[in-house]
Amino acid sequence: MLSLIILLPLLGAIATGLSGNARLTKQIAVSVAGLELVLTMFAVSMFNADVGDFQLVEHYAWIPSLNIEFFVGIDGISVLFLPMSALLTLMAIVASWNSIQHLGRFHFALLLALEGVTMGLFSALDMMLFFFFWELTLPPLFFLIGLWGIGPERCNAATKYILFMLFAGVPLLFAIILLAVNHATETGVSIPEGLSFNLPVLLKTPLPGNLQEIVFLLLLLGFAVKAPLAPFHTWLPTAAMEGPAHTTALLTGLKLGVYGIIRFTMPLAPSAAVEYSWVLGILGAVTLIYSALIALQQTNLRRLLAYAGVSHVGLVIIGIASLNMQGIQGAIFQLLNFTLIAGSLMLIAGFIQQRLGSTEALHLGGLAQVSPRLTGFYFLFMLASMGIPGTNGFPAELLLIIGALLAHPSLGITALAGAVLNAAYMLTFTRRAFLGPVTQSGVNRMQDLRPREWALLCIPAVLILALGFFPNNLLKVNRLSAELWLSRLLDQPALQSDEIAGLSVVP
Amino acid sequence: MDALVVLIPLLPFVAAALIGIGHFSAFLTGEAYENTTADIAGGAIILSCMMALTLVGADLLGFNTGTFSVGQWLGSDTLNIRVNFITTGFSVRLAALFTVLLLIVSRFSINYMHREAGYHRFFFILSLFSSAMLFLVLSGNAVGTFVGWEIAGLCSYLLIGYSYHRPVAGHNATRVFITNRIGDAGFIVGIGLSYAWVDTVNWSQLNVAATELTSGEATGIALCFTVAAFAKSAQLPFTPWLARAMEGPTPSSAVFYGAVMVHAGVYLVCLLQPIFEQSLLARIVLAVAGLSTAIYSVIVGLTQSDVKSSLTFATSGQLGLMFLACGLGFWQLAAWHLCAHAVVRGFQLLTAPSLMHNVQAIPVKPVSPSIAGLRWAYIASLQRFWLDEITDWGLVKPVNCVAHDLSYFDDNIVDRLIGIPAPALSTLSALAQREEKRIGARLDNDIDEFAHGSGVAGKLTEWAAAVTHWFEDRFVLRGIGKDSIDFGRRLGYAANKFESLILRPRYLVLFVCITLLVAF
Repeated sequence: MLSLIILLPLLGAIATGLSGNARLTKQIAVSVAGLELVLTMFAVSMFNADVGDFQLVEHYAWIPSLNIEFFVGIDGISVLFLPMSALLTLMAIVASWNSIQHLGRFHFALLLALEGVTMGLFSALDMMLFFFFWELTLPPLFFLIGLWGIGPERCNAATKYILFMLFAGVPLLFAIILLAVNHATETGVSIPEGLSFNLPVLLKTPLPGNLQEIVFLLLLLGFAVKAPLAPFHTWLPTAAMEGPAHTTALLTGLKLGVYGIIRFTMPLAPSAAVEYSWVLGILGAVTLIYSALIALQQTNLRRLLAYAGVSHVGLVIIGIASLNMQGIQGAIFQLLNFTLIAGSLMLIAGFIQQRLGSTEALHLGGLAQVSPRLTGFYFLFMLASMGIPGTNGFPAELLLIIGALLAHPSLGITALAGAVLNAAYMLTFTRRAFLGPVTQSGVNRMQDLRPREWALLCIPAVLILALGFFPNNLLKVNRLSAELWLSRLLDQPALQSDEIAGLSVVP
Repeated sequence: MDALVVLIPLLPFVAAALIGIGHFSAFLTGEAYENTTADIAGGAIILSCMMALTLVGADLLGFNTGTFSVGQWLGSDTLNIRVNFITTGFSVRLAALFTVLLLIVSRFSINYMHREAGYHRFFFILSLFSSAMLFLVLSGNAVGTFVGWEIAGLCSYLLIGYSYHRPVAGHNATRVFITNRIGDAGFIVGIGLSYAWVDTVNWSQLNVAATELTSGEATGIALCFTVAAFAKSAQLPFTPWLARAMEGPTPSSAVFYGAVMVHAGVYLVCLLQPIFEQSLLARIVLAVAGLSTAIYSVIVGLTQSDVKSSLTFATSGQLGLMFLACGLGFWQLAAWHLCAHAVVRGFQLLTAPSLMHNVQAIPVKPVSPSIAGLRWAYIASLQRFWLDEITDWGLVKPVNCVAHDLSYFDDNIVDRLIGIPAPALSTLSALAQREEKRIGARLDNDIDEFAHGSGVAGKLTEWAAAVTHWFEDRFVLRGIGKDSIDFGRRLGYAANKFESLILRPRYLVLFVCITLLVAF
């Protein structure tokens, strides 16, 4: 099932690449993405939430000499990322329906390839396989930003993105190798045979204390760049300004880096993770406030959204660092929200860019009068990103903030300060761009949403409201996995005292 | 009879959803459909008013059990948030009063808003607000109350920005919402503390457990909710937002800032009476802030020259008196005052547009001679004690300045240190490179034919040569030259600049805040 989910978009990519005319290409791309969405929903329905462990597991030998396997599976943490990514890709494809004027075949093939690789990332349980997919996300994104970007510096932005990610890959690979070698030493088998990249096996292998710290910091560094956490976040605003909007929607919507922190960094080096959770918490708090303050100064919607995304990542990291059920469940919830909220907001920015050629506040103003529907959708997504009750942002932020307050009051207060700033930068920009009189002549001629765009935005809007009213359905899915995740960190024999480095751990 | 309580907030919500979807899908637009919209909104509020009155009757006859729970809304670990309602006591009576007031205002707006461009939008927001406000009053747990609290605040934002093409409307709406957001943060901390210390978010359980709390814990919870209540009920230092909020249409001013929403803060304090009784400090805060707001409002109210702003300050003054009553322990008095004030102020604000006609012949009564001579008081009153300016100077401007500095720091320092910044003068340098290539010059080309070996030894030599060349180039030639002196000078200049920047008050305050947070 999972390998089908990974392979289908890749095959679809080849099919679109080989197809003859532009119209057929789009049709193939949309149908493949739609089919993929159905498949991932089917996988979710097959998923049993009463089991905390990995499910739908598939196991094939890949490179037997190094014990690298094609090993995929999902648990409560990762299962919902699959349909969300499929949905976002479908939205990106529909959003770029007419905006791609040249090399259409290549473009849709790359989007589908990216989708397949992302699916692989979320389901890979072999560390090497994960790394393989991790690096494979780079080429499609490089071309997507570089070839179809809207800014004058797009090639530069693409290069910058690639260099950042390659830099992040090095510590990651190093940590993976350290873990595999440690497994060989622990089991006492000689190197090529004793190596193991299997995640469930590695989770059971004890890791000596000093090695834990190294592995934790390496993995954290690797994922922090992708997340992005300050000070490694500068690639995102650049990419948001230069890249095409639907690609940026994928970049901001799919938080692979934070997923990596939850999935690998914390459980693989558990005692280091508990010991250094205060570092993680401070890192999250600094990122949250720092980028929220910078967002306050932004005059461009895309750049603002990029910084808002970074700021939200900071909040999620605080949730992870608080090491309690509310924190981790809120973090997973918020990550899933990103796909809907940040992705849709970025697509709206793309629609504005397509119509007016700019998302600079100076060139907008009074959009609410000329395009009420676009404004309506924008308001809904903006309110969701601010965590207003009724939208899915509220339960997630509530859980995150309560988790942070329980772990450490100052973290919680910082998170709340971030929430106030969040409202400030979002509403200030909204006032400049959407309210007020129309000042630019171009804005007067602006067209409201077309039926295609309208239908496209309806799906996330409905989901946002549905999850806001009934958040328990989502929380039920990851409850057991989150409990397992937490117990792996907190119930360690090596962990003697509850009071670790100033963070009181709530059992 | 308990189950009726669900319908009271639900019916206006359904009306809001119908109007919202209908208006958004371009079905309910224009004058032709004004009646449909009015029927939906009015019908819903009439029905929910009848339900509320029935519920009060049932409560008086003793048919109600006290709570009604629909089911779990969110559960994580031991955090269990249910959708539950209070069906007895003050909450139900207040809800009944509010439904009557909301009904009157809705009826008034049907005529008042006739042929306005945003007719359907107005009724969508009004219905949503009714639903939120009733949910706030009836909800049996803190999170439910917060949901109503926040949505009511959002509706207030949307109605202040009702005529959004006017710049001042958008500006005021934003300012009001962000001010209220500070209060919301207090509310959330209150919820978090209740969960941490009492392990519940239900009002009833929280109040029962209040007697077991230490006075420190009770003070903590009470003060958090006090901040929320002060922000919502426009007490000092949050008072200025109320005057800004008068930007909206008159019926909305009446229902939000006269009759219903401003009283939410007092209601919250009344609801938490057992907690406040545990904490002397919190009651002192209530009394002091209430009294000072009352005095402030009277002084400022004297110089207001339009009817809506004088009513604003009268409202905040009366609310101050309610908080004072709460702080002094007269809880019943505060509750009665709340109900009476809601009716009177709602009426006054609804009639505000026609008030000018009614009082045309009556001259304005001058103030008593004893205070008429105080010139400084006149100026202070006219300037509303500079509260807005003080907030701007003390909070808004420093935050913006820090944000500006950080933005510069991010673009020019972090980006350069961590990444490859976009070349600022790329076009120029690209031109220069092109020119360089055209004339065949190799000004900065490290690969020289001379040091271009083959084989292992050759490669080694090449690398060694390159390293030596680089070393000499960087350290020997450039190092001890004009560059190093220049560099030193620039470093000193930067350090000076950094120091002067760091010593600015906003950074000092920022560092103090960070230290406090870390030490906390």
